[in-house]
Amino acid sequence: MTSENASVDFFEQCGDELAIGSEIYNKVLGFYHKEARLLDNLKFMEWAETLATDIQYNVPIRQTRLVKDSQSSVLYSMRHMYEDYRSLMGRAMRLSGNSAWAEDPASRTRRFVSNLAVFATGTEGEYAAVSYLLITRNRFDDDHFDLIPCERRDIVRLEDGVWKLAKRDVILDQVLLGTPNLAIFL
Amino acid sequence: MSGNNNRRLADGSTIADLIDLDRREVQLRTLSDREIYEWEQEKIFGKTWLLLGHESEIPNDGDFVQRFMGDDSVIVARHKGEVFVSLNVCPHRGMKITTQDAGTASIHKCIYHGWAFRGNGDFLGSPVADQCMHGTISTKEELALKQARVTLYGGLIFATWNIDGPSFEDFLGDAKWYYDMLFCRSDKGMEVAGPPQRFVVRANWKAAGEQSAADGFHTLTLHRWLGEVGNYKKDDGESGDLTPEMFGAEVSSPHGHALRCIDLNRKIRRLTGKDPEELSTEEKLRVLPPPGMTGEAFEQLKRNLSPEQLEVMAWMPPQVGGMFPNVLFGYVYIPQADGSVVGSMTLHAYVPKGPDKLEFTNWIFVEKDTPPELREKMVMQTIQLFGTSGMVEQDDSDTWPHMTLTAKGPQGRFSTMKYQAMYETGKPEGWPGPGIVNEGFTKDDTQWHWWKYWYDLMTAED
Ligand code: FES
Ligand SMILES: [Fe+2]
Repeated sequence: MTSENASVDFFEQCGDELAIGSEIYNKVLGFYHKEARLLDNLKFMEWAETLATDIQYNVPIRQTRLVKDSQSSVLYSMRHMYEDYRSLMGRAMRLSGNSAWAEDPASRTRRFVSNLAVFATGTEGEYAAVSYLLITRNRFDDDHFDLIPCERRDIVRLEDGVWKLAKRDVILDQVLLGTPNLAIFL
Repeated sequence: MSGNNNRRLADGSTIADLIDLDRREVQLRTLSDREIYEWEQEKIFGKTWLLLGHESEIPNDGDFVQRFMGDDSVIVARHKGEVFVSLNVCPHRGMKITTQDAGTASIHKCIYHGWAFRGNGDFLGSPVADQCMHGTISTKEELALKQARVTLYGGLIFATWNIDGPSFEDFLGDAKWYYDMLFCRSDKGMEVAGPPQRFVVRANWKAAGEQSAADGFHTLTLHRWLGEVGNYKKDDGESGDLTPEMFGAEVSSPHGHALRCIDLNRKIRRLTGKDPEELSTEEKLRVLPPPGMTGEAFEQLKRNLSPEQLEVMAWMPPQVGGMFPNVLFGYVYIPQADGSVVGSMTLHAYVPKGPDKLEFTNWIFVEKDTPPELREKMVMQTIQLFGTSGMVEQDDSDTWPHMTLTAKGPQGRFSTMKYQAMYETGKPEGWPGPGIVNEGFTKDDTQWHWWKYWYDLMTAED
């Protein structure tokens, strides 16, 4: 059983923090707003165009552990999602097809992105971005919302003047996930 | 039917009134009644063997995980090499002994007043014993954590509260011959990729449980995307038709276990360009080894399985099915875009959480000696197809809640689930395996046998 913890290096690669309101910061913030708009409006193939072809996309599982064992509260040995470009395209295509019943009728979702911090990295044109994400998800006549609060740890990249998502790790706040599936993107 | 328990539900009906044995119909209210749920806790989750995990999750002395047997939390711990399952309830005032999902501890100390227990549940003492904290009325033996009966099978941890009940082998019966092919086929055995995925589905556990007893038909419609855009997409324009994948043999069990054995001939023909009839069992297993194994592992298969099991493994291996009451297995051979095949090995437990809620617990397995590159591919593929975000199973988890809701309607609760697609074929010619086996296109028999065992247990004398 492996228990490698791929998130450890995320903050190590974060260089200088960019000032809130600086040009790059605003661009990255705009990228997230646009992403939320595309996903909340079911524009999956357009969203897929914002993915770098070498993307790594992970949603590690969480465990309830003692504070002294807290490095084991985020585990990559098992994940809720473990994706590359091909699989994300496959998911986007499935959702755009005829028989993706888990999302047809679609959930009504809203992605609230906040607490954004953007950092330079050692690589030109690549930025590390940490943000909070709250997804509200409602299906059918449900009088409750499935809430999916999480933290995104991303690498965003400027490729020929276009912002792309190069890496994403989503740290969920629930151990026992309270939504019946992750048929939606985080 | 062995049962003759005349216990009545509040409206006067008995379990026998809910199931029409001749017409093979089950009333939907079985999926919604709280009373039935409470009986199940006692007569099913209090009686059968339940899957709790795998020993590779707790490799070292003192390692433990927290799991559920019905509504009860239990501690699954390794103590002096052995696996123990203790009720996670402090005998003092009922605090949970552990609140963690996993950890390592030689002593489990209740955080409330400090009573302490060993990994095997033994009561060690209370912090101020000299001030008579645990009194003299209860003996130390009486203050131990309640122990479930435990068995390990292929490293899988099963436990039951039925201390003098049937052995695990009796419980599996003829189905064991087939499960051995999945769980006991390699020299070193399986291991978990990591702790399980866990998520909640607002559905009765039986909506998932009866489906796990090898519902083949739903694949054709609910999982139709597999043929449209997924791994089973054909280039011949006949997009969406999954019917060729539905042929094989299905194994039923009087204990509700079920296995769908799916014909590999089409895959073997594609891989070799040869007529599978002309290939030996060994040749077939070398080109299309079971999930997690490579062709070289044939020697291991030969050591661990009988020639008859090898024959079935090369011909129609069990790929999906369940173990009563709430386990699903998927040991599947998934076609890849490049024409090769990558296997997946996954086990789910659908843990009841009230009449309209279940916890979906999903373990992903590899063989201990699966080569690292293959291992990574398997884990990634399995996460993408099964469990939380699995493109196959996300459709299931959206279906069961609707069944659970329809089962609440004053009219809907008396609607029935029907299991009337019946086999009339019997075993495939030359089939060497035991049990109730039928050949051909998938049918409902396995799921019907699942309900019959549910009926047996629910009506059994206490
Ligand atoms: S409840 Fe555990 S020590 Fe009191
Ligand atoms: Fe399914």
